[in-house]
Amino acid sequence: MFDSWRNKKSKSTVSSDMVSKQRRYDSLVRALHADIYRFAYWLCGDKHIAEDITQETFLRAWRSLDSLKDEKAAKSWLITILRRENARRFERKQLNYSDVEQEFIEDTFSGSTEEHAEQHLLQRQISKLELEYREPLLLQVIGGFSGDEIAKILDLNRNTVMTRLFRARNQLKDVLEQPTHRGQSNG
Amino acid sequence: MDELKFRRQAYSEPNNQDPDFLNATMESAEREAFLNDLKGLDNKIERALKVDVPDDLAAKLLLRQQLQQHHSQRRKTGFAFALVASVAFLAGMTFTLLRMAPVDLSQHALAHVYHEDKALHADQNVQYQDVNFQLASLTGGQNMKFTQQPGKVFYSTYCDFQGVQSLHLVMQGEQGKVTLFIVPLEDRLVLEEAFADSKYKGMGFETDNAYMLLVGEQSQDLNFVKNEIKQTFI
Repeated sequence: MFDSWRNKKSKSTVSSDMVSKQRRYDSLVRALHADIYRFAYWLCGDKHIAEDITQETFLRAWRSLDSLKDEKAAKSWLITILRRENARRFERKQLNYSDVEQEFIEDTFSGSTEEHAEQHLLQRQISKLELEYREPLLLQVIGGFSGDEIAKILDLNRNTVMTRLFRARNQLKDVLEQPTHRGQSNG
Repeated sequence: MDELKFRRQAYSEPNNQDPDFLNATMESAEREAFLNDLKGLDNKIERALKVDVPDDLAAKLLLRQQLQQHHSQRRKTGFAFALVASVAFLAGMTFTLLRMAPVDLSQHALAHVYHEDKALHADQNVQYQDVNFQLASLTGGQNMKFTQQPGKVFYSTYCDFQGVQSLHLVMQGEQGKVTLFIVPLEDRLVLEEAFADSKYKGMGFETDNAYMLLVGEQSQDLNFVKNEIKQTFI
């Protein structure tokens, strides 16, 4: 009798653990899936690949959710998983790299108004940034990370991160301020 | 903060809230305008980066995880089932193989006598009809019976000779008691005609349907019972 009582109790503890794990995962998905997807999109430049990477990232996150102790660190934890997933994609399909770079970014805006045109130009330009400039910018603007946090995620020195952020913005600003170059950069 | 450092910081982190940086910004209207310009650029960048997220992405992520969870649970139960099945299979095989191994009747008979010590102290005065009744229920024992009482029978019960159901009798010898095992014939049983250990002597012989094993302290007792059986047992 005692045994069956104990069994019941441990079973219910297990299932309540599962329930709380499920809840954590649910809130993780709801709170962060948009940022993670956008980060993935700007990393790889393709909607479908971005969705795949996001799926893989969250699946891996689920499997090792127990290792996430601090909920505040959830975003950088997910981004670390995502970057690893993205790198794995290149290991699998090395030829894809140049393909993706060439047909980077799809026309999601019609560009009818001037503002849209400018935004479109900016998107194209962001996608053309070297990855080493693009990635810190994504982490700063989408992720909202500080220079120190970016340095940690990218395993770089803080000064290097700052320099890259400087160059990234500098390039984007140049493009927006010299509309005459628009045709060339679009070409 | 000199101009170059200010500009570098403004470019690297326009929304920097560091007091030094904020103070440096307020040093001149030019710097403020410069920073506002960069903040404007940052707003544009932020808007540009906000590509549409597929509507059902969150639902898909949850679904995928649920399926995965479901699969791994099924895999776990499948594994458990396979484990239980192979253990059961192994147990079955072991049991079958054990049952197929040759059985040395003499050793077993001696062991059985020592083990079932109470049999030698029993005095139930069993009638041969009752013994026949027990014989009949043995596998392959349908044709065995005593035609008349073979002397006094103190004890009679079923016993197991490594999977072969047999009968365990204690009978009166010339002087002492004799234990008799009636074991239906089976291929894997090995019979010795005479055996002994420090205390008991044993003898074995074969009838048409069964092995007879006699165990007692004196050879005369064994022979006495053997003769009785030969006259009364078919």
